Amino acid sequence: MPDVAIGPVTCAGCGLLCDDVRLDLSGEAVRLQPACDLGARWFTERVRRADDAPAATIEGEPAEVKAALVRAAALLRGSRRPLIYGFEQSTVEGARAAVALADRLGALVMTDTPGDPWPGAPALPLRGVTTATLGEIRDRSRVVVIWREDPETTHPRLLERLGFGAGSPAQRTLVVIDDRDTPTAARATLRLQWPRERDLAALVSLHALQRDRPPAPSDLDAQLATLMEHVRDVPHVAVVHGSGLGAGDGGQRRALALHELTRALSHERHVVTMALPRAAGITGAQDVLAWQTGYAGSVDLAGGHPELVVSTHPADGVDLALRIEGAAAPLPAHVAEISLGHGPDADAGVWIRTAAPGVEAEGTAHRLDGVPLALQAPRAGEAPTAAAVLTRLLTEVGL
Amino acid sequence: MTAIRITGGRVHDPTNEVDGEIRDVCINGGKVVSDVGHDARRIDARGMVVMPGGVDIHAHIAGPKVNAARKLTPEDRRDDPLDRTELLRSGTGGLVPSTFATGYRYSLLGYTTVVEAAAPPLAARQVLAELRDTPMIDSAFLILMGNNQVLFELIRESRGAVSSQLRDAVAWWLDATGGYGVKLVNPGGVEVFKQDNGNVHSLDDEVPGYAVTPRQVLEAIGGAVDELGLPHPVHIHANNLGVPGNADTTLETMRTVSGRQAHFAHLQFHCYGGKPGGQPRSRAPELLDYLASHPEITADVGQVMFGPAVTMTADGPLSAALRDLDGGKWLNHDTEVETGCGIVPYRYRAGSYVHALQWAIGLELFLLGKDPWQVMLSTDHPNGGSFLSYPKLIRLLMDRAFRDDQIGRANQRAIRRTALLDGLDREYTLNEIAIITRAGPARRLGLRHKGHLGVGADADVTIYHDRADREEMFATPRYVIKGGELAVEEGELRRSDDGLLHSSSARFDPDVVRVLEPLFGDRYTVAFEHYPVRDPALREPARIVEAGP
Repeated sequence: MPDVAIGPVTCAGCGLLCDDVRLDLSGEAVRLQPACDLGARWFTERVRRADDAPAATIEGEPAEVKAALVRAAALLRGSRRPLIYGFEQSTVEGARAAVALADRLGALVMTDTPGDPWPGAPALPLRGVTTATLGEIRDRSRVVVIWREDPETTHPRLLERLGFGAGSPAQRTLVVIDDRDTPTAARATLRLQWPRERDLAALVSLHALQRDRPPAPSDLDAQLATLMEHVRDVPHVAVVHGSGLGAGDGGQRRALALHELTRALSHERHVVTMALPRAAGITGAQDVLAWQTGYAGSVDLAGGHPELVVSTHPADGVDLALRIEGAAAPLPAHVAEISLGHGPDADAGVWIRTAAPGVEAEGTAHRLDGVPLALQAPRAGEAPTAAAVLTRLLTEVGL
Repeated sequence: MTAIRITGGRVHDPTNEVDGEIRDVCINGGKVVSDVGHDARRIDARGMVVMPGGVDIHAHIAGPKVNAARKLTPEDRRDDPLDRTELLRSGTGGLVPSTFATGYRYSLLGYTTVVEAAAPPLAARQVLAELRDTPMIDSAFLILMGNNQVLFELIRESRGAVSSQLRDAVAWWLDATGGYGVKLVNPGGVEVFKQDNGNVHSLDDEVPGYAVTPRQVLEAIGGAVDELGLPHPVHIHANNLGVPGNADTTLETMRTVSGRQAHFAHLQFHCYGGKPGGQPRSRAPELLDYLASHPEITADVGQVMFGPAVTMTADGPLSAALRDLDGGKWLNHDTEVETGCGIVPYRYRAGSYVHALQWAIGLELFLLGKDPWQVMLSTDHPNGGSFLSYPKLIRLLMDRAFRDDQIGRANQRAIRRTALLDGLDREYTLNEIAIITRAGPARRLGLRHKGHLGVGADADVTIYHDRADREEMFATPRYVIKGGELAVEEGELRRSDDGLLHSSSARFDPDVVRVLEPLFGDRYTVAFEHYPVRDPALREPARIVEAGP
């Protein structure tokens, strides 16, 4: 790193929120130390933004921010069923302002992606969960199981931060359960392979093995027995999971089976899980939604108070979407969209440029394990934060 | 700011030795003043009871533990929605209300200051953000230090003595987080649980890997807090909570800290005779005897109320035990270096021997205690029950006939093993209620502007109809004045203001970071320079209470 290196700063390129990052901004592409390709791309996209980009657009045409706010407020006032979603790059401050606006509008708030296949109601409220922060797993877990995730691609420094970097103790075992040949699978000490459709059966069988009640014979027996041998040998185990297990049809049942298994295993040893969120802003947004409304996930405020959304198609009937610092979801064509984000969004009826958190603006984000962290602004800019825009929208809407 | 004269009310202001006198209370500029002009707003409080705003010394209202409980128990809030209004944010109630609902409901109950009693320092940003979203009440939070590996290292170095480094480290941590005081939860035991599901069982069990004992943690950190002169003494959730026979541990803990100021949390859960694994019995009288001869020690009761509760604690091994007992939902979260967290929804049943005994022990602590300044009201919300059950608890203390009726409904085998059937006819006076719900907690917290109505006090005032049904009286104040403004009138919120955060400040040698930084680097996964919370939006406005003798 040259002398001009900035840092340490927090990288919001993924939910890991590494806060030990030093930036070299001297070249065309931002370089990071410790190195991370995903993080470098994330910073480069935000640092090298074209200076001539407009501050806002209406129907794709450059506009003043004030005019865009007026237009957005008019759309929101006229909406019968507004949706607020996105949050992939949101700060806690942005999410607080978003839920405040949603409360005023009586909007539907989704921290999941509208249109994704419904996995079922959240599994956590059914039985609970056992979790830990990164340091707990790094320092205590002798066996770490990665269940159908590829953090080497999605959270590139996860394994290093869980203690599987250079010089990690040899007595630790990295188990990867995945039938795909992924960079993560290539690093496994023990690799287990079966198709995704067998995950529920595998979890149920592991639970039976844990209770010393052998399950009905299957072709997974040898692999499951090997896994249980590793787990039984150690006092502390961690399981890393995410959408690979919990997304889509039947996701709730698989997630529930995982939590039942880890709970049962917890009687004899310490067992924790860690979920990988799809983006850096999701964990914080879900936490804000929980403390402001009492519910996490998706919450409908249309009735004048929060209601937990438990529905296969929660966004049905939506006529306007306010997307906050996130990628567009596949909404029906008749749904108009207001977008807040750092990059121009020609498809949105109204787009207002907001400062990129962690690059142009400070803020708070919640790491994938819930730890709240400060985001810095190594290239502070002129654009307002999403929180500021949402607060102005709240005033402008005037309901 | 509004000038107000509250006229003709019967004033209970124990701090200023005012016990039911009919007198005016004047307010201006957010403070209690000696007089106001004729143009001041007049509140006719004739026939009413006037007290300082309530002060909750021990509750769980904000932070990752509380928020995890919200996520775990959506069904608890489904039937208790709060609609948004032009003035108020919407929310949900239940045992673990949303933040806005928490602020509103405390205010409607006549409480104006609440202490979050267990915050992981690493999560201070979230605690602060949640408290900023909790309107109408002033707040403070206590940071968890009883299982902190960095402090363990300093304690090992000092061989359990209070060192200057340890004092500086405690003060640094408060400065870094905005915390108000220091909480010790099952000192040493949570660390052992996180290692391999173990626990400590006596004050002299060694924490593997650290060569420190719970006794050393109590002596060193309790001593550091005392020597720093923090406004609130060390706040202790002792080892072996809930275990039959734990009264021995509690007494030993009291002896360990005696001579220094200390506050014991939810004492009811620590008063049990019997043997581990067996049936508990009450040893509350022994604990009270000890308190009577040690005025430097105070406690809040942690009364359990029959009905639903949500147990939430940094005491991970306790929560795992409840999981096995209950078989229902369980949430566990381990926070690196610092602490743990366990949550189990629970229900206290009048017919259960153990639950009835817990209920009765709580009442024993209230009714057998000699000094109400020493034993304060709490349900360890929501562990023993919601803060919304305080009015019923007050009625249990003030109304013997009601209490006897309730005693008759509880498991009699348990009741017979307590003093409740020994002709215990004590009924709390309004003045005693004012002590255990506001004057006592405020004094113990070192909040000199709270809990009283003397000139210069914060103008936090609650005015009640003087009703024979004390539960009804305390459930619906006629007026609540917060910071000099009329906040509640006849059960309706009239405004929605932000509360004021209270933090404490003690001097420390800034060079302590040279000691702490290397210890952080080996343990935390957060950069040392990013650990302190400096964001003004979270830290300000705040009232900083300076440490000192």
